[in-house]
Amino acid sequence: MVRALSATFVLSFSVAPVGAFLVLRRLSLAGEAMAHAIVPGIVIAFVIAGLSVGSMIIGGLTAGIAVAALTSALARRTIIREDASLASLYLIALALGIFILSAAGSAVPLKSFLFGSILGIDDETLLLIGATATITLISFALILRPLITSTIDPVFYESQAQRPGLVTQWCMFLVVLNLLGAFKALGTLMAVGLMILPATAARYWVSTITHYLLLTFVFALASCWLGLIISFYLPNVPSGPAIVIVAGVLFFLSLIFGPLGFHSLRRLTSSRNLDSDSNHPST
Amino acid sequence: MKQPLLSASGLALGYRDATILENVSFALDSGDIFAVVGHNGSGKSTLIKTLLNNLAPLAGTLRWERGKPDTIAYLGQRTEFDSHFPIRVKDLAAMGVWSSLGLLGQVDSDCQRRIDAALERTGIANIANMPLHQLSAGQLQRALFARTMVQDAPLILLDEPFTAVDQNTEAELLTLIDDWAAEGRTVVLVLHDLSAVLQHCNAALLLGRGRSIFGEPKSTLAPSNLIDFGYLSAGQAAWIETMYGSSENNSV
Repeated sequence: MVRALSATFVLSFSVAPVGAFLVLRRLSLAGEAMAHAIVPGIVIAFVIAGLSVGSMIIGGLTAGIAVAALTSALARRTIIREDASLASLYLIALALGIFILSAAGSAVPLKSFLFGSILGIDDETLLLIGATATITLISFALILRPLITSTIDPVFYESQAQRPGLVTQWCMFLVVLNLLGAFKALGTLMAVGLMILPATAARYWVSTITHYLLLTFVFALASCWLGLIISFYLPNVPSGPAIVIVAGVLFFLSLIFGPLGFHSLRRLTSSRNLDSDSNHPST
Repeated sequence: MKQPLLSASGLALGYRDATILENVSFALDSGDIFAVVGHNGSGKSTLIKTLLNNLAPLAGTLRWERGKPDTIAYLGQRTEFDSHFPIRVKDLAAMGVWSSLGLLGQVDSDCQRRIDAALERTGIANIANMPLHQLSAGQLQRALFARTMVQDAPLILLDEPFTAVDQNTEAELLTLIDDWAAEGRTVVLVLHDLSAVLQHCNAALLLGRGRSIFGEPKSTLAPSNLIDFGYLSAGQAAWIETMYGSSENNSV
């Protein structure tokens, strides 16, 4: 349990900025799809090489890159748009992953594979999470400014950058890496929940990027610890859903009480009605 | 003292499978305010992309007389701009120095002075701490002009910068552009407001129907040319001629 708590402490540091930028870049659904798309990679690696961290990373990264490349190829070359091709591919990938895992008669129960378990966190997983967090945090220290610029104003960013596509690709790589890091504690289905929900919840409270990243971390950590404790005292509840439910509660509380939640929506609408030549930006 | 900055001769612009413009020639000096006028799809943005070096010309030469500037300031159209990003006005303005700082460089006192001066000059120092999503369209455009100013570039490209702002803001921002030119910077301005072009620009490029004409604004944008290049219908041109014909008589 101590191991799980410390693992998720480090993990929260790592997934918070990744989730925050997925939300800001309007890629929340792409992140979700990516989480499912890497399943067959992990499963095939697992069936071939056993449940080692190394095989999981190789399998997951390969599948992630393959799906991302295939998605953009389908979107460019055929009539199907990017969202539809991503949805098609991740459904196929998820089904394939579960199929192979069940057919191979896995040693790991399907439930903990999909939904995570605290007991799954061994020394190797701790190392993986530590390495993921290190790479993620160093990356963000380096690419924070380009990332902010390209998110706010991609056209301006392209005018300034030598290779504007690099930031986006690196960002997607960090997503896959963090999904793999979160996989043991939360399971493949729930891993992305720890990225997206704290980030959407925090968005209702803050107006600067620094505060946003900090609050996202706090929410992620609170979700992990409360979720783990719940899952510890209710032994039949896997940790993934417990953590994501706590994050969900935080989301709804933020929606109701956050200054940019329902609250501000009411205020904006009433001030718009009073002042018809609107002082608010047109979107 | 004006110095030559850039000369283009016989440029063909466009993409591999579609040439949009052919035989474009013009010359820019330091301190020029250069208007680019043309109907939608005439190649204005393509020209801007070429100047930014994001697109290579298909033919012809683009010669930087004193070498290509390290920084080219650019303010594009706001179609892909995210005005809900959690960031304050002063940080948006500071984005203008980020690319020159590299990945980890800190904003030093010199940069900070530049940022403060830009916020002051664009009239938004009082809302420097306001988050982006609370700004009006005019305030946001002022903030983007502040960012452009912070870039401190010898060449400034503005792509339809007044589409979302009111007349007052446009007039103020135009005086800012005049100041930039007086400092010896070259401003390239894609604009549909012909009266602003005639008042503030000293060179103009008219694009349309795959062709171009370059010269001083008044003759380049003569109504007969505007009709010929598909920018105005004959009826619209006649109306404009009466408008500007009369104001011209007053000023003489």
